[in-house]
Amino acid sequence: MTKRKWKTRTGLAALNLFFLVLCIVTLIPILYALSVSFSGSNSLLSSDFSFIPRDFTLTNYRKVLLGENITTWFRNTVFLAAATVLLSLTAAVPAAYCFSRRRFPGRRMILKGLVLLNSFPAILSMFAIYRLLRPVGLVNTRAGLILVYTGTMAVFSLWNTKGYFDTIPSEIEEAARIDGATDFQIVRKIVLPLAKPSIITTALQVLIYVWNEYIYATTFLTGEQKYTLAAGLNALQATEMTGSWPVFSAAAITVSLPVLVIFFLCQRYMTSGLTAGGVKG
Amino acid sequence: MKEKQKKRYLQSYAWSAPSLVLIGLMVVFPILYTFYISLTNMNVYHWFDFTVVGLDNYVRALFVFDSGFLSALLATIGWTAVNMVLQLVIAFVLANLLNIRQLRLRKLYKTILMFPWAMPGYVGILLWKTGMFNTQFGLLNQWMQRLGFAAVRWLCSDISAFLCCTVVNLWLALPFMIMIMDGALQSIDRSYYESARLDGAGALARARYITIPAMRPIIAPAVIITVFTTFKQFDVVYLLTQQAGAKTGSGFHTILTYAYENAFITNNYGYSSAISIIIFGLLLLFSVKFQRKEEAA
Repeated sequence: MTKRKWKTRTGLAALNLFFLVLCIVTLIPILYALSVSFSGSNSLLSSDFSFIPRDFTLTNYRKVLLGENITTWFRNTVFLAAATVLLSLTAAVPAAYCFSRRRFPGRRMILKGLVLLNSFPAILSMFAIYRLLRPVGLVNTRAGLILVYTGTMAVFSLWNTKGYFDTIPSEIEEAARIDGATDFQIVRKIVLPLAKPSIITTALQVLIYVWNEYIYATTFLTGEQKYTLAAGLNALQATEMTGSWPVFSAAAITVSLPVLVIFFLCQRYMTSGLTAGGVKG
Repeated sequence: MKEKQKKRYLQSYAWSAPSLVLIGLMVVFPILYTFYISLTNMNVYHWFDFTVVGLDNYVRALFVFDSGFLSALLATIGWTAVNMVLQLVIAFVLANLLNIRQLRLRKLYKTILMFPWAMPGYVGILLWKTGMFNTQFGLLNQWMQRLGFAAVRWLCSDISAFLCCTVVNLWLALPFMIMIMDGALQSIDRSYYESARLDGAGALARARYITIPAMRPIIAPAVIITVFTTFKQFDVVYLLTQQAGAKTGSGFHTILTYAYENAFITNNYGYSSAISIIIFGLLLLFSVKFQRKEEAA
């Protein structure tokens, strides 16, 4: 073996070792939670901890999956997420189509305004929204929260779908128009099928936003019956932490699983949406 | 013809209306209302009988130094700078290492490194809070004790809380940055490197004269977005140290946690709204500036 070949081999081995260590370090908090979630609660405070749970048990997961609270929270979250996604898309897609294809007075101004609005952090208007929704009786209701979530994601949804429409060449639509198709037919039969990737991206982003949102949910909802998973988990962690760390980690893992699956299945869509729809006017 | 044009305009407005009305109602109007509240003395005692006090809240935020806003702003600027520098440097090195051609397991490593990004953000933060930093059963203190040191209250003092937040923020944000840089690296034509190598350029020279200039325009939008999200960071700081009912005693605030605290914990609604408007103004200024740069480029 030549000296040079030997050198690149050791270099490569070192590189692999480096990435192996890095991956383990990255996963430590998750692995630890995973291990705690499978162990009986008494092994928790012993100082010689290992990443392999010693007295392996499924009790924590049973508590999570059969516990009344978490199934209610799950149902609430699914309902809120579905309604928000549906409403967001229904509002965003026709508007995005107009802003991409049509020219009308005020269009440029509105688009510029949207970019600026996007820099306003939603948390900052939380108090104003609370005060506005309370007299109308929308605080502590699902409808109110759906309205808040849809509003928060409205700029993003419009912008993201519009950005994608811009990349679809309009020649196909013109050809269809010459063949006598109406606007509605063009949108339904040509534009929507072509825009599927961006609609999926937008839907996913809205879904994940609702799934992960905890601060509006804990502020606007009172009573654990109405909580979403994120709000419930947050409450679980804040109130009875020390007693239920194994249950909490089991719940955390359970809640993360669907998001992890969606993320890795749709990774392609996630990144294209984040970068392509981003900044360009 | 004109009639037809008018009809098309009307149709465009009608199709855009649901989205625009929603944005107007849930985004624009609350901002305007926040501005109105910022001019009043609204707080818990003046929920209905508040009075307009003009710019008092702004004066208090900007010119009374111990009101805490300016120090929170400085801390946020420092936080953004530290996080961005670390993020860019670490992601650059890792992305380059991942692109070494002989590395066969690249795909596996990339997938594992994406995990912190794929997890729900708040779950990741809470796992760090209890799993790693908790004084009694956090891993860090278990290791400290095994090494014979006393347990440390990681999140309780300003500087150590700042460092812990930085670590967690890097953990959360690096995957995205690595992926963006990785994509940018793959778009660089390999032949540049070969001719540079023929001319005798070392690894550092190649990075400086080929990699960085070629990457810059591709990663610029993502970097700008990240600067904004870092500046607007709330979750990491709030969940680790400032949770209502579970404050750790650290005084480290970003401007967003500071605004939140004044609205929902000390209930100074007028003052908090003034801070919100100031933050919004700052963000507007930045984004207009970045947009100009982008248009010029």
